[in-house]
Amino acid sequence: MKLSGMNLSRRKFLATSGGAVAAGLFAANLTTFKAVASGGHDAQTPTGEKGEKHIASSCEMCVNKCGFFAHVVDGRIKKLNPNPKFFKSRAMLCARGNAGAEEPYNPERLTTPLLRVGKRGEGKWKKISYDEAFKILAQKLAEQKVKHENRSSVAFFSSEGFQEECFHYLVQSYGSTNTVRHPTLCLSSVIQGWSSVFGAFPDADMKNAMFAVMFGSNRAEAIVTPDTIDIQKDRPKGQQLVYLDPRFTATAAKADKWYPVKPGTDLAFVLALINVVVTEKLYDDKFVKEYTHGFDELVEHVKQYTPEWAENECEIPAKEIYWTAREFARYAPRSLAYPGRRTSWYVNDVYFRRACAILTAICGCWDKEGGIVPKTPFKLKKPDVLYPYFEQAEGRLDVGSFGEFDNTFPEDGRKDQGLPNDSVAFLGEKDGSWLRFRDAVLAGKPYTVDALVIYKQNFIEAVPNRQKTMKMIEKMNFICSIDIQMTEVAHYADLVIPESTYLERWDSAHSLTGLWPLATFRQPVVEPVFKTQSMFDIAKGVVNEMVKIPELWDDVDEMDFEDFKTDIVDGILNKPMEDYIKFQLSAYPGGYETMMKEGMLAIKDTPTYGKTLKPGFRFKTRTGKIELLNSKYGAKGLDPLPVYQAPRQPEPGKFRFILGRHAWNTHTGTQNNGFLWEIQKENTVWINSAAAKKLNIVDGDLVKVTSKVGEQEIRAFVTEKIRPDCVFYAHGFGRLSPQLSLVYKKGASQAEILEDYIEPISGNAALHETFVTITKA
Amino acid sequence: MSSHAETKKSPLAGLITYNKDIPVMPLILIGLVLAGIGAVTALMVLIKGHGEMYGVTRQVPWGMLIATYAYFVITSTGLAFIGGLGHAFGFEAYNKISRRIVVLATIVLIAGFTQILMEIGHPIRMMIYMILTPNLKAPILWMGVFYGIELVILAFELILVFKAHPTAKDHKMAAILGFLALLVGTLATSNLGFVFGSLNARPWFHGIYFSTFLVISGITAGACLLMLIHNIVYKFNIPAELTKPMNSLAKLMGGGIGMMMFLYLWKILTSLFNSPDGAYQSLMALISGPLAANFWIGEMGLAIAVPLLLLIVAKGNTKIYGVAGLVYMVGLFFTRFDFVVAGQLPVMRAANEGSNVITDANGLASYSASAGEWGIFMLGIGTALMLYFAAEKFLNLKTPDHH
Amino acid sequence: MSEKKFGIVLDARKCLNCKACTVACKFENVIHTGDDNYRIWVSELPVQGTYPNLSMEFEPSQCQHCENTPCATVCPTSATYKTEEGVVLIDYKKCILCKACMTACPYDARFDSHAHHAIEKCTLCYHRLAEGREPACVETCPTKVRTFGDLNDPNSEVAKLKGRNATYQLKADKKTKPRLFYIK
Ligand SMILES: Nc1nc2c(c(=O)[nH]1)N[C@H]1C(S)=C(S)[C@@H](COP(=O)(O)OP(=O)(O)OC[C@H]3O[C@@H](n4cnc5c(=O)[nH]c(N)nc54)[C@H](O)[C@@H]3O)O[C@H]1N2
Ligand SMILES: Nc1nc2c(c(=O)[nH]1)N[C@H]1C(S)=C(S)[C@@H](COP(=O)(O)OP(=O)(O)OC[C@H]3O[C@@H](n4cnc5c(=O)[nH]c(N)nc54)[C@H](O)[C@@H]3O)O[C@H]1N2
Ligand code: SF4
Ligand code: SF4
Ligand code: SF4
Ligand code: SF4
Ligand code: SF4
Ligand SMILES: [Mo]
Repeated sequence: MKLSGMNLSRRKFLATSGGAVAAGLFAANLTTFKAVASGGHDAQTPTGEKGEKHIASSCEMCVNKCGFFAHVVDGRIKKLNPNPKFFKSRAMLCARGNAGAEEPYNPERLTTPLLRVGKRGEGKWKKISYDEAFKILAQKLAEQKVKHENRSSVAFFSSEGFQEECFHYLVQSYGSTNTVRHPTLCLSSVIQGWSSVFGAFPDADMKNAMFAVMFGSNRAEAIVTPDTIDIQKDRPKGQQLVYLDPRFTATAAKADKWYPVKPGTDLAFVLALINVVVTEKLYDDKFVKEYTHGFDELVEHVKQYTPEWAENECEIPAKEIYWTAREFARYAPRSLAYPGRRTSWYVNDVYFRRACAILTAICGCWDKEGGIVPKTPFKLKKPDVLYPYFEQAEGRLDVGSFGEFDNTFPEDGRKDQGLPNDSVAFLGEKDGSWLRFRDAVLAGKPYTVDALVIYKQNFIEAVPNRQKTMKMIEKMNFICSIDIQMTEVAHYADLVIPESTYLERWDSAHSLTGLWPLATFRQPVVEPVFKTQSMFDIAKGVVNEMVKIPELWDDVDEMDFEDFKTDIVDGILNKPMEDYIKFQLSAYPGGYETMMKEGMLAIKDTPTYGKTLKPGFRFKTRTGKIELLNSKYGAKGLDPLPVYQAPRQPEPGKFRFILGRHAWNTHTGTQNNGFLWEIQKENTVWINSAAAKKLNIVDGDLVKVTSKVGEQEIRAFVTEKIRPDCVFYAHGFGRLSPQLSLVYKKGASQAEILEDYIEPISGNAALHETFVTITKA
Repeated sequence: MSSHAETKKSPLAGLITYNKDIPVMPLILIGLVLAGIGAVTALMVLIKGHGEMYGVTRQVPWGMLIATYAYFVITSTGLAFIGGLGHAFGFEAYNKISRRIVVLATIVLIAGFTQILMEIGHPIRMMIYMILTPNLKAPILWMGVFYGIELVILAFELILVFKAHPTAKDHKMAAILGFLALLVGTLATSNLGFVFGSLNARPWFHGIYFSTFLVISGITAGACLLMLIHNIVYKFNIPAELTKPMNSLAKLMGGGIGMMMFLYLWKILTSLFNSPDGAYQSLMALISGPLAANFWIGEMGLAIAVPLLLLIVAKGNTKIYGVAGLVYMVGLFFTRFDFVVAGQLPVMRAANEGSNVITDANGLASYSASAGEWGIFMLGIGTALMLYFAAEKFLNLKTPDHH
Repeated sequence: MSEKKFGIVLDARKCLNCKACTVACKFENVIHTGDDNYRIWVSELPVQGTYPNLSMEFEPSQCQHCENTPCATVCPTSATYKTEEGVVLIDYKKCILCKACMTACPYDARFDSHAHHAIEKCTLCYHRLAEGREPACVETCPTKVRTFGDLNDPNSEVAKLKGRNATYQLKADKKTKPRLFYIK
């Protein structure tokens, strides 16, 4: 009963040895050890191996990639423990990161490639081997090329992840220009907004900030490391957090001030902050003169945006706006207008994000401790590969369809808002614009796209207007989904190829670019439980099959084809991923070994400030300066300064439908994990108590949520925690795939009722522009 | 009596017989059927596990089986108490029925043991570790000790009461055993009250109240049960020589109910005044909450009001005593159920979002007995019916007149 | 007697209600999913006020490792016991599943474990302490709400934290003397 001789009291917990401890070292000293040691696991261990290991790797349950040590007992993952040295994640692993240990053993995960045998969506499958799957996919790709004489007739959708790179090996080996990535559902407007001022999308130095204004960046629940940690842990004394959100979120509960901003009007608030800073001359004059472009125009422009004016728009008292502006300036440069991440909100989002960047710039909160700081990468070696030039590949569908669509804007107020006539002014070459792309596919203009290959994206639920997406699916000849579970997209696919989970495979090294740059990777902590393969293996398998099909190479120069085979197929794909990782890290002697052991590589564990403030530095803008006045926007028919236009409002009796995260799930990917599902089994629609009373709705009532494009039934959560003019429910419920049995038809889907509007500068989806009615079901 | 002729062969001779005028075959059969259902249920519990078969939860860990256990064993000690009054304190009236008392007490105790054995997750471990590593502070340990001893005493008493020609030494022995049965039984029951009364966490249970209440309601139950079975055995026509014991039992019962009413009154008032945390919620659960029907109809109606009224109108009519006894025994089931459940309904943590605690509109945890628990109760009732009435049918339970 | 006295100081004000601790505990201690199966919980206390003047707090908790230990007192087989460092543990093979401890615990900290066929609850991750690792819930928390250590060692982080701050205990009126201290 005694921990004698262990000297526990002096031992520093959270020792740097981290998870990699010698398990059982002191066990003999504990008479009670047996009694508390955990019991056995239920699931099988594929290898029959014995013993305990602690293996370093990184999390893939969301975008953050936190570091962990997998505690593996007898060949089965027991637990994932945070890596204490992994400073980006500050020695934490969230609920999802912990629940990740269940992913390889999830009873409903995909275990083998499946070929559809029944009608699409009927759920009838034939089990096939990986080799068969590779052959079928290669053959389908060849058929598409021959039929349309256009490789771009196949579109490739994907979301971020370490293996997305491998997916793109496949895409580029085939030669379609139509890749559609996740940013235009997520953060392309914030990237565009900040880049239009600073030429880059920066980080916030939350840890050292003294005054932070956050606009609906619900860090306590929408976890982004290290900010989520830094908003509460070890806060600098006196730090103030001001939070704007129509909902009283966990972040609001933690904030020093919460302003329940009227949805869509944050821009008015920020413009008024700039107005006060300018009028009261609170800006950093030296910084403005030295680094910025267009200050005078800005001064002129913001005169109209007084706090008194803004109060009417955003329903935050003018006196609070004055206070915020003055405090912001007082603490500058340790003040943050927090950039945010998912900014797929409103049709004028880029202007709002620009305004935040401008406020940052004029207060000189740039590239300084406690301010906004440009991201630093951890440099990794990249293979210098050249893909063949494919003659039969048309340019991007969504570029080709410019000028085709005007239906993606809620009201024709574009000119007033200084927004472009077309739906995307700056289209990402690799990212595309999801909504615009779908419209172009449906219109069949300027050419036909009738096959899809999808990696790690569940667009049926992640893209607004689900019924429209289903129409797109109906038009497809062939759909292949590469996923780890039977998501909606997989359920409606023709060929499903399972990927190994992140705990069972090698992922190449990646830089976690930011204020605290480091590189991490993944290694298999257990052998694939069901002999599944990684995207790298899948790409290899399919490309090797493609090489055998002559019709796929008749529009390619023969020499190019030969080079492709030696450099890419044999040089990269046909080698083990470990070789690739060794190559990536070859600039760091011992780097590979360190990575294997510690799961990360870093040059230093402190931020670097001021690189962009050195003499001679050119910002990546046309003028080389910080552009308060954008010098490119004019040419696109855009206003070079952020103009405010009041958002349209729901008619009486309707509500604005807004979105947001809970800390317990990632998008639509984790609800079928029992350990997360039991935290929240079904979503409920948040409705303000006063509003509910008017509708005679009480907590727990089943209600119908109806928009222009769809309707859903869901139980009401009657609460004080939301403005009376909007409603909210969580993402990832009300699912269509029966093989997600925990959430199949439980609760409501967002995608089903969201209307598909576009923010026309970045092409980002505008997900908070939908109005709904709530009626008792 | 035929038995007299063969008494010389063995001290127990004449014991085994066939009483064709005791009309209990149907009851034996009902007992058999119930015990059969119970046995199947028990088997399922052994296979599927308690979690699957019982309705108890994290918030209400003690359910109907604790109540039925209490129902049986407390009745048994009540019977032993009455027997003790006869043997040790010279209440002649009870000596006239001492065989039935001892047999009934033993069988009802065994029925109680079926309940606790099926309720405890590891009964075999219980035997081992209550001996190897006993915790002397734990009321449950003493519960095991007292009821174990009680069973042994009853076993000795059984031997004695069946002696055809008890000697003077036997009489002395019977007196000692009777006293011990009374003493240990009372200790056992009041200690069972202490199993609950020691729970500082559960204000409804905490304190001396249930130790007292259980003893009194148990003696009352003993009286009731005796009046009931005598009526059954004698086809509601109790012979004159037994009217005295019956009248005496009726008085005991009336007095018992009276004391129960007295205890109820003060328990209710103390739990009402200033709404003491926990106790108040339990009381509300009883008088206006989920247990209200049980409380008003079962406890107050069937275990208090109706039997009391029947006793008042009976005026020496032993038939009505039997009916009153039956009604009380039915009512007492609810009394025991409510007692176990009511104290656990107030939750230990508020049912806030994320607390994993779920409560109803009254802010109380909920519990309802599962089919499995009913099945095990049938095992207890069935065992008791079957064994006791088989004893009536095949043994001679009429206490010989020793005077 | 050991001079150590293990305990946890919690700064619930920093809690984000992220549930990392609750999920971590399930894996570390092999606790199956299921509504009654948990050693640790994080409650969202009722929202105070009416829109737009609101406040809300979270309350993470687990077994309090009571110094006065009602669950051990009522345990007939001594299956529940206290180590010399004050950690309240259960010897699963001695547990007879009488559930007296569940009714005795004022915190609803215990449950019937299908994995162990015994009653279980938080062990303060005793098996990890032996390896010099802190409890799983302490380790995984983003904001490090919990600080674990030896309350008797004045140099320990917990002791200092407790010394520096006014703290309270849950249900102090039950006189269980919890070893979990919440910073006011
Ligand atoms: N309605 C609504 N739509 C939204 C959002 C919203 O909040 N509400 N949020 C938007 C934002 S910010 C984003 S970033 C996007 C995200 O949209 P998506 O990127 O589509 O995200 P998920 O819906 O989680 O789908 C990810 C898929 O990846 C699979 N997956 C997980 N791990 C692996 C793996 O290792 N290999 C493979 N092959 N597959 C894997 C999961 O099973 C899941 O099907 O959604 C956007 N769309
Ligand atoms: N747990 C968890 N963490 C995640 C993810 C996840 O799925 N789960 N996903 C990750 C990803 S891909 C992303 S992009 C980020 C997203 O993280 P965030 O950028 O924080 O996005 P959301 O959680 O969608 O939060 C949007 C918030 O904005 C509020 N809001 C709505 N309309 C307005 C408005 O007009 N003004 C203001 N000020 N607020 C408004 C909503 O109420 C909601 O609380 O989270 C990342 N972290
Ligand atoms: S935040 Fe959570 S889910 Fe995301 S990478 Fe980190 S541990 Fe994994
Ligand atoms: S909290 Fe409950 S289980 Fe834990 S020591 Fe105290 S009484 Fe026992
Ligand atoms: S259930 Fe187990 S741990 Fe609890 S009191 Fe009974 S024997 Fe002790
Ligand atoms: S200390 Fe260990 S056992 Fe206790 S709640 Fe935390 S993780 Fe669970
Ligand atoms: S892990 Fe920490 S922040 Fe998250 S719920 Fe638990 S105590 Fe709160
Ligand atoms: Mo995102």
